[in-house]
Amino acid sequence: MTIEDLHKSFGDNEVLKGISMRVEPGEVVCLIGASGSGKSTLLRCVNRLEEPNAGQITVGQHTATHPDVNLDAMRREIGMVFQQFNLFPHLSVLDNCTITPRKVLRASKAQAESDAMEQLEKVGLKHLSERRPDQLSGGQQQRVAIARALTMKPSLMLFDEPTSALDPETVGDVLAIMRQLAQAGMTMIVVTHEMGFAREVADRVVFMDQGVVVEEGSAAQVIGAPEQPRTQDFLRRVLNPLSEQ
Amino acid sequence: MDLSNRTRQRISLGIQAGLFALVVVVLALVVNWTAIGQSFFNVEPVLPMFPEIFTVGLVNTLQYTFFGFVFGLLGGTVLALMRLATFPVYRWLATAYIEFFRGIPAILVFIALGFGASLAFGWNLSTLQVASSALAIVGSAYIAETLRAGLQAVPKGQVEAARALGMPAWRAMVTIQIPQAFRIVLPPLTNEAILLTKDSSLIFVVGMAGSAAELTKMGRDGINMYQAGLTPLVVVSFCYLLITIPLSLLARRMETRGSRPTRRKKVKA
Repeated sequence: MTIEDLHKSFGDNEVLKGISMRVEPGEVVCLIGASGSGKSTLLRCVNRLEEPNAGQITVGQHTATHPDVNLDAMRREIGMVFQQFNLFPHLSVLDNCTITPRKVLRASKAQAESDAMEQLEKVGLKHLSERRPDQLSGGQQQRVAIARALTMKPSLMLFDEPTSALDPETVGDVLAIMRQLAQAGMTMIVVTHEMGFAREVADRVVFMDQGVVVEEGSAAQVIGAPEQPRTQDFLRRVLNPLSEQ
Repeated sequence: MDLSNRTRQRISLGIQAGLFALVVVVLALVVNWTAIGQSFFNVEPVLPMFPEIFTVGLVNTLQYTFFGFVFGLLGGTVLALMRLATFPVYRWLATAYIEFFRGIPAILVFIALGFGASLAFGWNLSTLQVASSALAIVGSAYIAETLRAGLQAVPKGQVEAARALGMPAWRAMVTIQIPQAFRIVLPPLTNEAILLTKDSSLIFVVGMAGSAAELTKMGRDGINMYQAGLTPLVVVSFCYLLITIPLSLLARRMETRGSRPTRRKKVKA
């Protein structure tokens, strides 16, 4: 996946001021930075949930920014996990995972259900397949959301602050699934505030501030020994929230 | 004043009870109960109204309301989608329709269809056609606004998640947005059905044959026929309540059930 000189504004507010980056197949990239730095917007531009103002994005053989791109076909190859899970509340866990394969890919019910059960087993929730989303904890819902995205067999997964809305005790389960996914060779772009996860799992860490990439490199470089003052400042505040006061 | 909460509650309760007693006493003294009893609660014309009040009146009222509601729902769905359309002309047309028919008395629509349509177009509409079309025309304007609000009440993330999975816009609408909106709008739609039930009485301005008479018409006929006061209206009122109270209980039940999921079997997956 490549991004070239991406610009995005909301009204007069320029959120992305020329971002370029490249993600190789199998690579795990963590986007870090303060709220409002443009990380989520960047992620949402990749599958065109946000319309970029300028620049070019290609995902596999799809040019996301081309006017004639088949958006639905492209999005089927890109899984996305949201901060608020966004499971479909009127459908059971299993139906959440089978509805798109069945309605969009025209998979048979039996095929879709066996695929879905396989994915649910991977996230450890096979036994809850008949439940409704509102009967699950936040962490369980997010794991279902990951399974749901995987049933479309994507080649790239986008995670938009997947653990920010979770109770602290359920964060670990979700991160463990993501680590497992990374180890299985999935290409992943993860917007996160979990520095421990970034340090352990990310092949590359990108620090963004005010719509530009300030610093990027291995986790050890960017988180362990940041060069830019803005990165140092951000990390100091994230890692030691009380030290500034 | 240093009154404890309990003392205050007692004083408040005492004042309320006192007011109530006063009103009861005044009514008992002032109102001519004999006259009221004779006019409204005279049993003499009640029995002859049966069984026609059920077999004709109630059936016709239900029929006019049912068709009015079904076509109102269809029209309302189209109008709601038009209001949310990206093509501006659709939005303007739907808004104009909704504002117009919500803003005029429903009785004018009955008159227009009952008398105007035959003058203007030479149509010869049956009572059922006039009543249910008039209710559908007016009802669809209200229903459209209810449905639009329901569609917009579905969180934005739901459609985003569906689109991110690769669903085309129409598919996300049909499979994700509409089923959730439907749950949200069931209670207000039930209230709409109650309003239409009552509005079906407006067909009286057009007039109708005895076999097409609905409840209110039968009540008026009862007054004229028996010359025994207004008791037929009381009978008719209870017939309306037979329809509207169950509907309103249903609406309340759905409101409290709220987001509780239905069984999996019922979900069209």
